[in-house]
Amino acid sequence: MFDFLIEGFGVALTPLNLGLAFLGALLGTLFGALPGIGPINGIAILMPLAYTLGLPAESALILLAGIYTGAEYGGRMSSILLNVPGDAGAVMTTLDGHPLAKKGLAGPALGLSAVSSFVGATIAIIGLTLFAPLLAEVAVMFGPAEFFALMVFAFSSMSVMMGKDPIKTAIGAVLGVLIATVGVDSGTGVMRYTFDMPELYDGIDFVVMIIGLFAISEILLMLEHAHRKDGDGELPPLGRVFVSLKEVLYCKGAMWRSGLLGFIIGVLPGTGASVAGAVSYTTEKRLSDQEGTFGKGDMRGLAAPEAANNAAAAGSFVPMLTLGIPGSGTTAVLLGALMLYNITPGPMMFTERPEVAGGLIASLYIGNIVLLALNLPLAGVFARVLTIPRWVLVPAIAILAFVGVYQLHSDLTAIYLMLIIGVFGYLLRKLGFSLAPVILGYVLGGLMEQNLRRALSISGGDTSILWQSGISLGLWIAAASLLVLPWLVPRLLARRHAA
Amino acid sequence: MSQVTKPVADRLLGIALIGLAAFVAVQAINLEVPFSYEPVGPRAFPLGLAILLAGLSLPLVFKPGADGHWPHKALTLRLLLVLGLLLAYAMLFTRLGFIPTSLLVVAALARLFGASNGKALITGVLLSAGSYVLFTEGLGIALPTGTWLAALI
Repeated sequence: MFDFLIEGFGVALTPLNLGLAFLGALLGTLFGALPGIGPINGIAILMPLAYTLGLPAESALILLAGIYTGAEYGGRMSSILLNVPGDAGAVMTTLDGHPLAKKGLAGPALGLSAVSSFVGATIAIIGLTLFAPLLAEVAVMFGPAEFFALMVFAFSSMSVMMGKDPIKTAIGAVLGVLIATVGVDSGTGVMRYTFDMPELYDGIDFVVMIIGLFAISEILLMLEHAHRKDGDGELPPLGRVFVSLKEVLYCKGAMWRSGLLGFIIGVLPGTGASVAGAVSYTTEKRLSDQEGTFGKGDMRGLAAPEAANNAAAAGSFVPMLTLGIPGSGTTAVLLGALMLYNITPGPMMFTERPEVAGGLIASLYIGNIVLLALNLPLAGVFARVLTIPRWVLVPAIAILAFVGVYQLHSDLTAIYLMLIIGVFGYLLRKLGFSLAPVILGYVLGGLMEQNLRRALSISGGDTSILWQSGISLGLWIAAASLLVLPWLVPRLLARRHAA
Repeated sequence: MSQVTKPVADRLLGIALIGLAAFVAVQAINLEVPFSYEPVGPRAFPLGLAILLAGLSLPLVFKPGADGHWPHKALTLRLLLVLGLLLAYAMLFTRLGFIPTSLLVVAALARLFGASNGKALITGVLLSAGSYVLFTEGLGIALPTGTWLAALI
C-alpha cells in the first residue's frame, strides 16, 4: 500500500531533487519573511522562473512545494518581530508572538515557532501519507457527475469558511470561473470571449493570471504603506537564540492538538491556514488558559496557531492530490502549475504517476526536516530580511513579474494583460474581496464545465444524472446545508428565545 | 435608507457586476454554434454563471456594506504614477532593451517609494545589472537588447 512512498523517496532522494527541496525551503523562507509577501505571492512570483529551469514535473513540484512550506515558516518573522502578519494565516501568530518579542524573548519565540511548525507539519504529513491513498481509492469511483457535485461542494464550503463576507467570496469564485471560460471551447471549437484577439484563443495564461493578480496588485497595495515606518531597521533584540527543551515540552499539548486540528481543517476543501490558525488558537485558549496569560505572551498561544498553520498547509495537499480539488488558494496555484505539465491531479495520480504523488509526499518529509535545521540556527539571519526597505523590494518584484511573464512567449501582449489583471486584483482587494476564491474558481472552472458537459453527454441531456448516485447526492446535500445552516441556525435560535 | 453616509462602493460594484453578467449572457447567446452531438454546448455554462453572478450582485446593490478605506488624492496620484511607470516599462521593454528600461523604471519606482535620489539610482543600477546577469547567465532567459539601439547601429 505504501509502494508509492518508497518510490517517492527514491525520487526525492536523487541529488537534484534533494537540492531543489533545499533551495525551495530556503527561497520560501526568504520570500515568506519579506514584508508583505505571503506564501501565495511568493509562489506566484517564483513559479515562472521555476519553469525556465526546464525541470521534469515531479522536480518542479518538489521545488514549488518547498517554497510553499518554507514561506509558511518565513511568514512568522514579521508577525512575531513587527506585529505585521505577512498573510491571513499568520494573524493569530501575532497575538502571543509579538508580546513575547516585546518581553525580550524574540529569539526563543522564533525557535518555538519553528519547532511547533515542524511538529504540526509532521503530524499532517503522516496524516497525508495514511489518508491520501485511501481517499484516492474512493475517488476512483467518481464519475463526471460526482466531480461536478464535489466542486460545487468545494465552492460552497469556501464561501462559508473563507473571508468575512460570504457573498463576496462567492462572487470572487464566479468571476474566477468566468475568466476560465475565455478561449476556444474544447467541446465545439467555438471561440468564447476572445474578441478576435489571437492571444486569447488559448485562454488567459495561468502565469499571466497569477502574476497579475498577486504580484502587480501587491505592488499597488504596498504604495499605501510606502511611508509607514515598519521594519526600517528597528527590529527588537532577539535575546537568546535557542528555545529551551523545557519551553518546548510546556507547549507539547498545544502542539499536537493544534497539529491534528489544523490537518483536519486543511483537508476540507476551501479552508486553509487562516481558518486553522484561528480555530486552534481559540480552542487552545479555552482549554488551557487558566491564568488569563493568552494574548500577553503565552508560549502556548504561539505554539498552537503555528502548529495548526503548517498542519493545514500540508493537509490541503490531501484534496489536491487525491481529488484534484485544492484545499486553499496556494494549493490552487500548485494545481495550476501541475496542469501546465499536462498532469491532472486526481485519484489516478497515485497509480499512473506515482513518482509525482510519492515524490511530492516524500519531499515534504525531507523539506520539513531541512526547514527545522535551517530555521533554528539561522532565525537571526532570516530576520535581517525584514529590514529590506520597500524601495528595493517593490522594483525587484516588478522586474521578477515582467521577466516571468515575458519569458513565456517573448511577447508584450501578455505583459499588458498582466497589468490589466493587476489593476483588477487591486480593485477587488480594495473592495474587500479575498483573491483565493478567484484563483480557485479560475483553476477549477474549466474542469467544472468539462465534467458537467461530460455527465450530461452520458445521460443524453437528462440532468437527473447529476444527483443520481449516492456520493453526488450526499455532496449536494452537504453543499446546500453548508450554505443554509449559518443563515438558518441563528434565526431559529432567535425565534426560540423570542417565544 | 437612513444612514448618515450612504455606502457607495458596494452599490457601484453590484451595478457593474450586473452589467458584466448581462454582457456575458448576451455574448453567450450570440455564439454561433456548429451542429454537435453534445447536448449542452458552449452557451449554457456561461449563461448559468451570468445568472448566478447577477443574483449574487443584488444583495450588494440593496444591502451594501461599509466603504473600505480608499486612497486620498495624493495617494491616487502616486498610484497612477506607479501604473504609468509599469505601462512605460512594458512599452519600452523590447524597444529600449532590458537593462536601460529596468534601470530607469527601478530608479523611478524606488524614488516613488521613498528612496533618496542617490539611493534610487544605485538601486536602479544594481538591480538591473544584477538581474540581467542572473536571468541570462543563471536561468538562460533571452532578454531583449533593444530594437532602437540596434537600429542606431
